[in-house]
Amino acid sequence: MNSTVPTKNALLWLMLGLSLAALPHFSYQPMWVFVIFASMLGWRCMAIWHAWHLPSKQHRRMQWLHHSIAVLATVLLLTSYGNLIGRDAGVALLTVMLGLKVVEIRSSRDYYLSCFLGYFLVVTNFFYSQSIPNATLMFIVVTILTTCLISLNDAKQALNSRSQFKLASQMLLQAIPLMLLLFVLFPRISGPLWGLPTDAHSATTGIDNNMTLGKISQLIQSNEIAFRVKFNGQQPAQSELYWRGPVLWHSDGVTWTELDNETKSATLPNILNLGTTYNYTATLEAHNARWLFALDFPNALPLGIKAHFTQDGQLLSDDPLRQRQQYELSAHTQYRFNEDNNSYLADALQLPNNQHPRTQQLAQKWLQQTQLPLELVQLALTHFNQQDFYYTLSPPQLSGDTIDTFLFESRRGFCEHYAASFTILMRAAGVPTRIVTGYQGGEINPVDDFLVIRQRDAHAWTEVWVKGQGWIRIDPTAAVAKHRIDQGMNTIMPLNMRSPLMLSNSRQLAELWQTLRNNWDALDNSWNQWILAYGPELQKEFLSKLGMPSPNWQQMVIWLSVSLSIILLLISSLIFYQRKRLAPVIFLYQKFCNKFAVNRKASEGPIDFADRVKQLYPNNSAEIDRINKLYINLHYGNKSVSIDDLKQAIKTFKPPRI
Amino acid sequence: MMPHTLSQLYHRFNQLRGRRIFIVPTRFGFAYAGFLILILLGAINYSSSLGHVLCFLLGSLGLVAMLHTYRNLAKIELHHAFSEHVFCGEKIHFTVLFDNQSHHDSYQLNVASKQVLTPTFNPFRLFKGYRHHYLIPMLKAQLTTTVSITLASERRGRQPLGRIRIASQFPLGLYTTWSYFNTSAYALVYPKPLGGLPLPSANDNGQQSNHHKQTGVDDFSGFDIYRSGDPIHAIAWKAMARDDVMRTKQFTSYQGGNVMLSWQDVAQLRDTEARLSQLCRWILHAEAAGMNYGLSLATTAINYGQGEQHRHRCLSALALYE
Repeated sequence: MNSTVPTKNALLWLMLGLSLAALPHFSYQPMWVFVIFASMLGWRCMAIWHAWHLPSKQHRRMQWLHHSIAVLATVLLLTSYGNLIGRDAGVALLTVMLGLKVVEIRSSRDYYLSCFLGYFLVVTNFFYSQSIPNATLMFIVVTILTTCLISLNDAKQALNSRSQFKLASQMLLQAIPLMLLLFVLFPRISGPLWGLPTDAHSATTGIDNNMTLGKISQLIQSNEIAFRVKFNGQQPAQSELYWRGPVLWHSDGVTWTELDNETKSATLPNILNLGTTYNYTATLEAHNARWLFALDFPNALPLGIKAHFTQDGQLLSDDPLRQRQQYELSAHTQYRFNEDNNSYLADALQLPNNQHPRTQQLAQKWLQQTQLPLELVQLALTHFNQQDFYYTLSPPQLSGDTIDTFLFESRRGFCEHYAASFTILMRAAGVPTRIVTGYQGGEINPVDDFLVIRQRDAHAWTEVWVKGQGWIRIDPTAAVAKHRIDQGMNTIMPLNMRSPLMLSNSRQLAELWQTLRNNWDALDNSWNQWILAYGPELQKEFLSKLGMPSPNWQQMVIWLSVSLSIILLLISSLIFYQRKRLAPVIFLYQKFCNKFAVNRKASEGPIDFADRVKQLYPNNSAEIDRINKLYINLHYGNKSVSIDDLKQAIKTFKPPRI
Repeated sequence: MMPHTLSQLYHRFNQLRGRRIFIVPTRFGFAYAGFLILILLGAINYSSSLGHVLCFLLGSLGLVAMLHTYRNLAKIELHHAFSEHVFCGEKIHFTVLFDNQSHHDSYQLNVASKQVLTPTFNPFRLFKGYRHHYLIPMLKAQLTTTVSITLASERRGRQPLGRIRIASQFPLGLYTTWSYFNTSAYALVYPKPLGGLPLPSANDNGQQSNHHKQTGVDDFSGFDIYRSGDPIHAIAWKAMARDDVMRTKQFTSYQGGNVMLSWQDVAQLRDTEARLSQLCRWILHAEAAGMNYGLSLATTAINYGQGEQHRHRCLSALALYE
C-alpha cells in the first residue's frame, strides 16, 4: 500500500520546503555545503524535467558518482569542522545528507524520512536565531512540508497544488489552539539535559574582558541591542546612565586586563548609597560571559538571577549568560565606594615597565605643581579640554608606544583612548586609578517606553581613589565631548551611520524610519519577553497568576489534560460540522417558494406547485411560469439559461399578500 | 439483574454507533512521534522556546490529522453491490456503489475485498489478509461512485462478494483508518459449458399444437404492449419516443423444435459436474438454434420455453444443483 513512487508534484514540494529550511544556514556554513545541496536538488530537477538518470541499479555510473559525492562531503566535513558531533558540524551534516537523500528518493518510505528530517532541519534553525523573521520563514516551511505529506498521500492528484497547500494551512491553523495550550501548560524542564557541544554558542559582539585601543570604537559600527531596561517610576538623567561592566586594572602597555578571579572575589565592596533610588528591570542579550550590566551603583543583589559582587564593583552572574536573561535591580546614582580603605591600591598604581616615557614626564611636571589628587585630575581634564584633542568615531591606527603617540601626536581618539591615557597619567602621578568599561546612555523607545542600549553605546571611563571619598567616577571623554555624555551616542553619530534613509536628507523620511524602527523594536521586545523567555521560571510565575495555587508538574499535567480534551472536542466539532450546502439553484427556488402564502408539499413537483399557486395568484401567473421555466431548465441541465436571470427574476418577484 | 441491564445498554449503544471504524497510527505515524521526541529533546537541551513551539505545533498537527483521517472515512457507506451472472472460469465483475453521505469530500479510499484467512501478527501489515485493491482517488460530498471488483469464479453456485474493507490514510499518512462492510451480494456461477455429446433429437410431434406462436430472436413479427419482465433489448425505443407507449418488438421463430434435456441423457458421463457441464452446453445450443427446450433434473423440472429469461432459469437450476 505504501510502495507507491512519489509523484513529481510531491517531489517539487519537498525540494522547495527543504531549500527554504536550509536557506538561513547557508549564510554561516562553508560555501561547499551550499554547492553540494544545490547541485543535488538540481540533479533531481533535471531528472524530473529532462529525464536525467538517477543513481540506481540500472545506472551504476550514476550510483558511483553519488557515492563519491557522499565520500567527498564527509571528507570536507571532517576537514572543515574536525568532527561530526558539534552543533555546526551536525547541522552541516544534516544539510548535506538531505541533499544527497533527495536524489535517491524511490519509495514513499524515503520520502517520509526526508520530510521528517526536514522538520528537524527547521528546529536546528532555532538553535541559531529565534527572531521574528526567522520564525515566520520557518512557519512557512512547516506548512510546505505538511503539504508534502498531503501531496504524497494524494498520488492521483485529486487535489491540485493550491488545494493541497490550502488543506495544509487549514490543518495547521486548527492545530494552533492546541499548540498554545501545550506551550503554556506543558511542564518545562530547564536545559541542558547533557553537555552542549562547545560551539553551541556562537561568538557575539560586545564588551570584552580586555581592552586595546581601537577595540571599543569597532563596536559602534554595531546597531545590535545589548540590553533593554524598563524603569519602574523615576528615571535618572541621561548623563547619569553609566552601565557598569568589566573593570580593568592591569596594563602591559597595549592591552588592559581584569584582576585575576581570586583577587576579584576576595572581599565585598563597601558601598554607601545616597540620593534617589531607581528601580528597573533589565533584559540582557546573551553574551556568553558573566557580567550583568548594572546602573552604577546597585544597592542589592538582583532578583531573578543568581549573582554576586566583586570587590571592584562588578556584578557577575553565577553562570555564563548563554541566553537572554531578565533581572530586577534597584540603584542609586550617587554613592560612596570604599571610602575608608582599599587593600588593592597597589594594583591601581601598576604601570608597564619602561613604557610611556613622555606621558610619565608630563605627569612628573604636574606633580611639581600640586600633590593633591583631585587637583591633578583637574589638571589632566583641563589638558584634554584646552589642548587640541578631538573626539572621533574613527581614530587613526596607532603604532609604537600607543599612549605617547596618542597624547603627543595624533590627539584624535575615542573614549578608550582618553580613559587609558588618563589612567596612565594619574598612576604616574601617584593617584590610584582604574578603567571601567560598559555602556553609557541608551535610547528611549517611545512605543513601549523601554530604554534600549545598543552595542554602539559601549563606553570606557575611569575611577580614581581619594582617601575619605573612595572611588570617584571621572569620565575623561566628557572633558572633550560633553554632548556624548549628556545627549547620548545618537547625536554624534555621523548621519550615514544612523540609518540608510538619513542619507536622503529628508526629515519626514528620517522620522518615518525612526517610527518604523521603534515599532519593530517594541514588537521584538515583547516577542523576547513573552515567547522566547517562556521557560520554567516564567511558566511558574504565569501559571500562579492564572490561579494555579502552586504550580508543579502534576498540576500542570492535570490542567493540560482537562483543557486539551475540551479544546480537542471543540476542534472536532469544527471539523465534523456539517454545513448544509444546497445547490444555489435549489436555494433560489426555495426562496421563491417561500414568497407564497402556501407551502410546497414534499410530494409536489415544481409544475404541480406552479399550477396550484397560479390559481391563488392569477395576476402573477405569467411571472410564475417564467421563473418556473428558468428553474426547471437550470436544474435539469439546460445550460443555455443563466442563473443570474433566475436570481434577478426571483428578486423582483413580489406576489401580493393574501 | 445488573449485568443484564449493562449488556442491554451495551447493545443499544452498539446499535447507535453503527458500523465500527478503526484507526491506528501507521509505522510512519510512529516515526513521526519519534522525530517529535527528538525535536523536544533538542529544544530542551538548547533551551529554545521556538523549538518547543515547533514540537507542540507538530504534535497538535498529529492530533488534528487523526480527526481528518477519521472524517475522511466516517460517512462513506456501501450503497449496494451486484454482478452479472457468469459461467464457471470466467471473471466475475462486481459493481460496488459507494456513497459519501457527509458534506466533505473524501480522498484516497482504498477498497479491498476477498479476505484470505492467513492470520498475521505484524502490526504494520494489518491488511495483508486482503487481496484485490482498488483506489477511489476522490469521492465528492453527497455523491456516489462505483468500483468494479473482479473475482475469479472457482466453483459453480453462488459466489458471494464477501466482506469489503475500505481504508484510508489521507491526508498525512500518519494514521490508517478502516471499516468493514458485510454484503449479501453474490454472483451466480453457471457450470462451464463442456462436453461433446450431441444434442438429443428434437421431438416435433404432439406438442406442436400446444403453442401458437413461439417468440424468439429471429424474425420481426410486430409490436406488443410491454409487460414487466420482457427483455430490455426488445423494447421499441424509437416507437416509444413517438407516442410514449412502451412496446416490445416481437420476433417469431420458425425453426427448431421441442427438446427436453434430461438427466438420463447425460447419465453415461463420469460425474455430476461433467453432466451439468454437458446440459449447460446443450441449453446454449438449443437457445442459439431457436429451439424450444425444457430441463428435467432429479429435483427440478422446467417446462418447454425459450428466451433470455428461460435460459437463465435453466442455467440457474444447473448452477444450484446439489
